Amino acid sequence: MMKKKSSNRTWLLVTVIAFILVFTYLSLNLKSIDSGYEMQELFEKEQELKEEITKLQAEKASLLNLDRVEKVAISELGYQYPRPDQFIKVFAESANAEPANAEQANGR
Amino acid sequence: MKINSSEHKRVFFLFIALFLWILFICSSLVKIQVVDYSKNVAKVRAQSNFIFPMNARRGTIYDSKGEVLAISVKVKSAFLNNKEDPQSLALFKDIKKQIALTAWEKANIEERIRRGEKFTWIKRKLSPEEYESLKRIKDSNKSNSILDFVEEYKRVYPQNTTACHILGGVGLDEQGLYGLEYELDDTLRGTPGKARVMRDARRKAFKLSYLNEPLPGRDVYLTIDSSIQFFVERELQKAVEQYGARGGTVIVMDTTDGAILAIAGYPAFSPEEVKNTPTLMVKNSAVSFIYHPGSTFKVVLAAIALEENVCSPRYEFNCYNGVYKIMDRQITDVHPFSRLSFENIIIQSSNIGAAKIAERLGKTRYYNGIKKFGFGERTGIGLPGEEKGLFKPVKQWTGVSLQFIAGGYEIAVTPLQMARAFNVIASGGYLAEPYILKEVDGMFLKPKPGVKILGPVTTQRMTNIMTEVVNSGTARKTQIAGISIAGKTGTTKIIGKDNKYVPSFGGFFPAESPRVTVFVVIDEPKGDYYGGDVAAPLFKSIAEKLLLYLKIFPQLDKKNEIRI
Repeated sequence: MMKKKSSNRTWLLVTVIAFILVFTYLSLNLKSIDSGYEMQELFEKEQELKEEITKLQAEKASLLNLDRVEKVAISELGYQYPRPDQFIKVFAESANAEPANAEQANGR
Repeated sequence: MKINSSEHKRVFFLFIALFLWILFICSSLVKIQVVDYSKNVAKVRAQSNFIFPMNARRGTIYDSKGEVLAISVKVKSAFLNNKEDPQSLALFKDIKKQIALTAWEKANIEERIRRGEKFTWIKRKLSPEEYESLKRIKDSNKSNSILDFVEEYKRVYPQNTTACHILGGVGLDEQGLYGLEYELDDTLRGTPGKARVMRDARRKAFKLSYLNEPLPGRDVYLTIDSSIQFFVERELQKAVEQYGARGGTVIVMDTTDGAILAIAGYPAFSPEEVKNTPTLMVKNSAVSFIYHPGSTFKVVLAAIALEENVCSPRYEFNCYNGVYKIMDRQITDVHPFSRLSFENIIIQSSNIGAAKIAERLGKTRYYNGIKKFGFGERTGIGLPGEEKGLFKPVKQWTGVSLQFIAGGYEIAVTPLQMARAFNVIASGGYLAEPYILKEVDGMFLKPKPGVKILGPVTTQRMTNIMTEVVNSGTARKTQIAGISIAGKTGTTKIIGKDNKYVPSFGGFFPAESPRVTVFVVIDEPKGDYYGGDVAAPLFKSIAEKLLLYLKIFPQLDKKNEIRI
């Protein structure tokens, strides 16, 4: 009678251990697949962000294109190229009549 | 509870059935997992694993300040998975309303669909607007698997036409076709890779592994300054249009080491449209346009003569009152002079005087001197299509070659060779190798040191003479108040064409400590054609902007000075 009881317990233990092992294996596997999805999403996101940076770089360069800057400055902001007589030379006395701060245009 | 025999039988059959069912399942499992293992694994992999090529990004081209000149961005390209002709044709009917296609392209796509070709490009490298409109069609269509998209790289030139002749352009598959895009193709073009993606039953990717990681192309920094390039191009365009010329070229070079700050050519083109641009227009005239340098070549003659101690700057030559006959040919001067000193020959640009200097110098010394200046050889700048020019060996010279070469004929040069020759005088006698490539992927490329070919006395004398050309000679139109400019004009009559000329001007400033060397060539202007009238004013307008940009300040009137 005692022997049968002990044998049943062993079987139960083996079954529980096997169940735990299978469950752990399956859950780890599922977790790894989940991580795979997450990694893939992050990878795609990284690629997208890198691409976005490149596009912004290109856009910045085209916005700073001097042709466009000149058009905006002249037609929208009313700037003009300075005439030669609009250049003022600034000297610092201490620098013994050397140009101190370069020239400045006194007109827009 | 007791089980009767009939029930016993039923239970037995049930067990038998269950046993058979389990046996069937087990045998099926053994078949799937053991017997057909390889076959099934291959099937699963085929369904879930996708191996796809990964394009490598082409390297970016920057100017010397880090401004982007050319960059590759990802765009979508549309194609048809042609399964059934009527469906594909109906879909294409909607598509062609949304995107710009030529009549030929439309007919070609329809023909391909009718032929039953499985894969048909609709349009490669769509604009964002085109992609959005096609995506709407795809999403609204029941058979949306017919229309699909693929990502590709597109070369973008944010500065539009700026530096177009330097950059060149690429083809549809981003292969370099012209300019630096072609010359540096191996550096700029990356190595494509391959990746494996595992997808689930819903085709959602859950694992990516690289088979070969794509290696992006290397970034390149040029010596070009996009601001200088921009205003030089602008001024050149104005001049070419003003004189109704065929074209023009301007080279701006850093005097100290030969770094190219700008190379402008006109007419310009859009590098993004290079495939549809005539080849002649794409050619970089700074290195491919060969012409007779005319009087600008007298600078080379004078420098060689002074270096060889043939005469002093004040030595006088007979100028035959404007007509000098040699064999059956004659050399004339626009303004006749009876006698001119060596320096006045250059200042007044006398052809006869130049011929007399060359005679005094002699064939061998003159030939060797010209060779030292690098004529007849490529400069090695690293731009495609560079010409050597034409310079015959002394053995092939005729009885008048010496005198004609002195005036800039019987020799053909490129504008870049002339810019380099002027830079020899500006740099104190060093023949620098012009260069345009500054840095590749963070690695600075050290320019080759210049070779000293003229002594300091010669270069100082030449600078003084060339400054006088501007102050009182043929180049008075380049004068800028408060700045000393050294230069020389040239006007070449195109042989074989009536009344067609190539005016040019080369110079550097400030003459006392030169910072930049500029060479200007205008091809076949209408109306005015003298270098002093056409090329010199262009030089002046470029110099004025360069002075401001490089913060070289002229000595202006006292009324414009403030002392603090």
